[in-house]
This record gives sequence, C-alpha cells and structure tokens, in this order.
Amino acid sequence: MNANTDQAKQGRKPGKSIWPKVPAPFVRAILAGHSSLGLAFAALIFLVCFSGTVAVLLEDVERWEAPQLAPVHAITPQAVETMRSEALAKYPGAHHIFASLPSEDQPRFRIYVDAVEGQPNKEWVVDQNGHMVAETHNPFTDFIQRLHLYLHLPSSWGLFVVGLTGVALLSSLVSGILAHPRVFRDAFHLRWGGSKRLQEADLHNRIGIWGLPFHIILSLTGALLGLSTVLIGVLALVVFKGDVNQAYSYFLPPTAKDDPRPAPLPPIAPLFEHVQTTAPGAAFSYITFEHPGETGQSVMITAIKPNALNRGDTWVFDGSGQLMKGGYSNSNGTPGNAILQAVSTLHFGWFGGWPVKIAYILLGAGLTVVTASGVAIWLARRRDKGRPAPRWERVWVAFCWSQPTGYAVAALVALLAPTAPLVPIWLVTTLLALATGLMWTPQQISWRLRLIGAVLITAVPATHLALFSGQTADPVAWVVNVIMAGCAVLLAVSLLRAPKKAVASAPQPAE
Amino acid sequence: MNGPQLLVALALTAAGGLAAFLLRRAWNDRSASRAWLIVAGWAVLAIALVAGSPALGTARGIFIASTVISVAALAFIATGIQVRPSRVAADKSSIALEPSDRPSRAWRGVLRFLLAGPIGMIAAMGVGIMWTVYLPSDPQTRIVSSGLIIPVVWGALMAWTLSDDKIIRATAVLVGVAIVTFSAAAIRGFG
Repeated sequence: MNANTDQAKQGRKPGKSIWPKVPAPFVRAILAGHSSLGLAFAALIFLVCFSGTVAVLLEDVERWEAPQLAPVHAITPQAVETMRSEALAKYPGAHHIFASLPSEDQPRFRIYVDAVEGQPNKEWVVDQNGHMVAETHNPFTDFIQRLHLYLHLPSSWGLFVVGLTGVALLSSLVSGILAHPRVFRDAFHLRWGGSKRLQEADLHNRIGIWGLPFHIILSLTGALLGLSTVLIGVLALVVFKGDVNQAYSYFLPPTAKDDPRPAPLPPIAPLFEHVQTTAPGAAFSYITFEHPGETGQSVMITAIKPNALNRGDTWVFDGSGQLMKGGYSNSNGTPGNAILQAVSTLHFGWFGGWPVKIAYILLGAGLTVVTASGVAIWLARRRDKGRPAPRWERVWVAFCWSQPTGYAVAALVALLAPTAPLVPIWLVTTLLALATGLMWTPQQISWRLRLIGAVLITAVPATHLALFSGQTADPVAWVVNVIMAGCAVLLAVSLLRAPKKAVASAPQPAE
Repeated sequence: MNGPQLLVALALTAAGGLAAFLLRRAWNDRSASRAWLIVAGWAVLAIALVAGSPALGTARGIFIASTVISVAALAFIATGIQVRPSRVAADKSSIALEPSDRPSRAWRGVLRFLLAGPIGMIAAMGVGIMWTVYLPSDPQTRIVSSGLIIPVVWGALMAWTLSDDKIIRATAVLVGVAIVTFSAAAIRGFG
C-alpha cells in the first residue's frame, strides 16, 4: 500500500507534487549506500544512541546513586575557602583542585583533587558550608558515561570509534534524505500493522524526518567531540610542526609561571566580586585552583551568563588575586569560542532544564528506534524478496532488547554490590540475550526480553527504595525512580499489545 | 529554566503542534487553500524558531525551540496513526524503490571500505585543514569551524563513495583532493 492508493481510497485526487523528481537510478544507488552504511554501523549507532539517551540523565543518576546527600542550592566564598583548606589538609601538595559548583539544574557541590600526578583524581561531594562529606563512588554513572564516551574501550580508541560512529550517523542522515525522495511527501503517514516492511519504513522515515534538526545536532557535535583529539593532532602535524600544545594554546587560559615556593592562598570573596561586577547575574559553575599554596598559583573561575547556551566565561587570577594578562575569556568573544563552548551542552541537552532533558530523552529514544527499524526494514525487504535471513532477524531483535535488560542488571549490581565490575556483567547479559537467538523465534525473543527487562527495571527503583528508605535527602532520586518505573510500565504495556499467537509462531521478520 | 521561561517553552511546543496541524491539513487538502496552509505551516515554524529568543536567550532560544517543536510535531503525527491488521505476506503494492544491485567483487568491497573510511577521512581532513589555513578569521574560529566541516565532508564522502558504482573515479577524486589540500595547507602554514 502506498500514499497514492491511500488517497485514491479516500476519494482524494493526487495533487501535483511540489517536490522535484529524483531519477530512480540515483535513488537506487544512494539507497544501496545507505543500506551498506547502516548495516555496517547499526550495532555501534544503536549502542551510542541508547547510552546517549540514558546519559541525558547522567547528572541526575549520579545524585540518585547517593541520595542521602542533600542538594546544595547556593554557596558562599567562605564555603569555597573551607573546601580548599580541607582538600589541601587531606591531600597536601595537591597540584589542582577542580570544583564543580552547584547550580539550579545541578544542585551538587563536587570536587576533583589531583592529589598525585598520573593517578586518577580523588572525587568528593561537599556540603553547603564547604565541608567534604563523602568520597564519590558512582559505579552506574561511570558505567553509562564510559559506555557512551568510549564504548568501554581504551579511552583514545573509544573516543575515536564513537566519533566515527557520529560521522556514520551524519552520513546516514544525508544518504537517508537523498534515498527517500518521498520522505517529505509522505511526511504524515504513520501506518501500524499491515506489511511489516511498510510499518517499519513509516516509523523509520517519520521519526527520521521530524527529528532531523536534533539528529543533525547530535551527530555533528558527537563527531566533533569524538574526533577532536585526532583533528588537533593532524592539524598540528601539518601546520605546527607536530606541536599539539601550540594548537591547544588558542583555547587554553593563561597559566602562572611555575614557582613552587610557598605562598598564602588568595581570598575568594574579592574574586567572586570581580566576576559579578564584570558579568552581572552570571552563575558560578566552576572554580579551579592550580598549584594552590605555591607562589606560582592561579585561580580560574567559570560563570555562565543568564540564558547562555555555553559553558561560561572564564576569569584567571594569579596568587595575589589580580586578573592575569589575557585572563578573561568571553565565551562569545569569537564565533569559534562560542561554538566550542556550546558543543557539549548541545550534545547532552544540558541547556534548558527538565523540559529540554525530557525532549532529548524522547528524541534520543526516537533515534534509537530509527536505528533499530533501519535494520528491520532491510531484514523485512529480504524476506519479501524470498531471501530471508532468520539468523540475523533473531540476532538483531535480541541485541536491541538486550540493552534495557543489560542496563537494569548493571544498575541492580551497582546498588547491591557497588564494588563489582559492571562492564563484564553488562557484557555477559548482552551475550546471554544474544544466545536466546539460538533457541527462540524473533517474536519470542522480543516478547520475553521485554518481559525480563520490565521486571528487572521495576526491580531497580524497588531496590533503591529499600536501600535508601528514610535516608533520601535529594528529591531527584524520586524523579529518577519514577522515570525508571515509567520505562518498566511502557515495556509492560507493549507486552499487552503484542499478539498472543506471535509468542509461539514460526520465525517471522524482526520486530 | 524559570516559570515564565517554562511557559514560553510550552508555547513553542504548542506552536510546533500547530505547524504540524497546518501542514497535515495541506497534505490532506488538494483544494486551492493548500498553498496557503503550506505557507501558514512553515510561517508558524519559522516564527516559533525565533520567537523564544527574547525570553530564552538568542542561541539558546533557537535550540530549545527546534527541540520542542520536533517533539510536538512527532506527537502530532502519532495522533494520526493508522492501525491495520497484521499481514505476514509481502506487500506487493509497494512502490518503494529497491537498492541497486552492484557488482560484488572482493576488491571492490575492500576499496569501497577504504574510500568511505580512511581515505575519505584523510580527504576530509585535508579540506578542513586547508579551510583552517586560508579562512580570514581569528584562530579559534578557523580551528573550530574546520572541526565542524571535517565530519560533514567525511559524512558526505561516505555517502558518495558507498553509492557511486564508479569507484575508480571516486578513488582518483579523493586521493587528488587529499594531495591538493594538504599540500596547499603545508605551503601556507597557519599564519
């Protein structure tokens, strides 16, 4: 069934199309390329999109993992000084203290202390008075973050693979538009049921076209973030005689001349006042102490102006509290800086509070569905042409539905055994889900993995409530629990809608 | 996002739904008013994209609008879903085009992979770095804009090389582009 026959049935005359005709051989060639690329990168794009959708809530999940810590809504310069003193007392000779200051969207005061060079930073949560109250341990947050950023590969390789996936997604968007000349003409068709291929194609094309601005932003910023190290390296090789630091120097603030002789710590209040005078209404977001307590120390403050899209302007002060030469960096000073400062906020949806977060989750889930349906269309097309690929149908269904289960298992283990390694557990869960392809039909795999996923996801907020009952001081824990419960309900509802006969039927095209 | 800003975001969401409604009316309507409905739908979209900027911030407002408009439009599309009885048999009436059948030889597959992957990446980097070197602007803008150009060019080259049957021509073009751009960048330097 197609758009024209639908219109004929409804008594409408097919009007003259306003869209230009695209030659069929061109479309067929682009479609072949679109299919090849989609199939080659489907699993990677799916993993990155799924983890990215969850990663929108990364900061909230981090708070959910330690709900006994009360949110901090505002801090004083005195609290920052107390934090600095405590950090230096606990880690004498620390090279750097990075502090993420509480904000309206992220009311938590966190610090990262570079205590020993070459070793991971020590992470602490700080209360509103500046006291270091708990060392950070967020295994599930780390699991999500490292999966999305590095696919749990060694960081430089992982970052490159994720960046490459972003390029493949961007390329798929380009070829997807060119390969579907009817994509705008059919922009309102959403047919469910009937032919499997048409159903998946409608889903794929409708979400693909109406979410296009989001998909472009996401893939482009993701590719830039992932490939930035390689790009800077090649740029340095070609035009800076291999000196990467020269390339980075255009983006880094000035640093104080290294001088390890002891010196008093600069008071914070005058620095805050300077920032507030220069940028009235700006919200403090970061403060970094470089070589604190040394003559060659500096303090970098970042603050976000009202309604800014970016990560904020920066001010760098020397040990005497004076603004250093070139120490002010306006985030909108140059187009390049404005774009750079906005890339990560745009990518993760951290620029408009909960309304934008919710929209990003919905659109991210949509992009994940687009990826899943793309492969399903290819499988259905093969089946329609009498060349079914039943093994791949099972593998793809199992792979897609393995992720809700895998994440739920990882979250449960993170709650019950916080020191357990989550990556092998997630990997084994995914492999077990894939193994179901050896025994079950695609319908059985889909139905049963959704059932298992719904049960396990329900178990996560239930376990969280049991563990932190009466201790929850951060209300975002309730929000995250409700979102998880909502996901479980959605999966359960999808089970109710599944045709009963499908459970026991012969192998069919992937769902 | 404060209370008034939340109201603006909700208004933008509603505008996205309204634009989708007008465009769907145009899509269904084959009368003379169709053109006006199309104009009205796109006008609402365009206005909604910039209308939030005074309250939400210039750039931030545009990106918030584009995000919530997409969600509203998709929600509106979902309300028009046509549920049909499931059918296992192939849909013979589909007029969707099939992907072209291409010669499948191992060397073509390997070359196509190399063109879409490493060779395409090198050519795209050449274009981006030449852009960085020759763009008359400040260093930050030159470097960051090339960082945006490279994934776009690489993505376009991927789409092209995976689609074009004349892969020897594609090889020649990509290798030529890489040699010319890197040479031009190296000769001029960052400056």
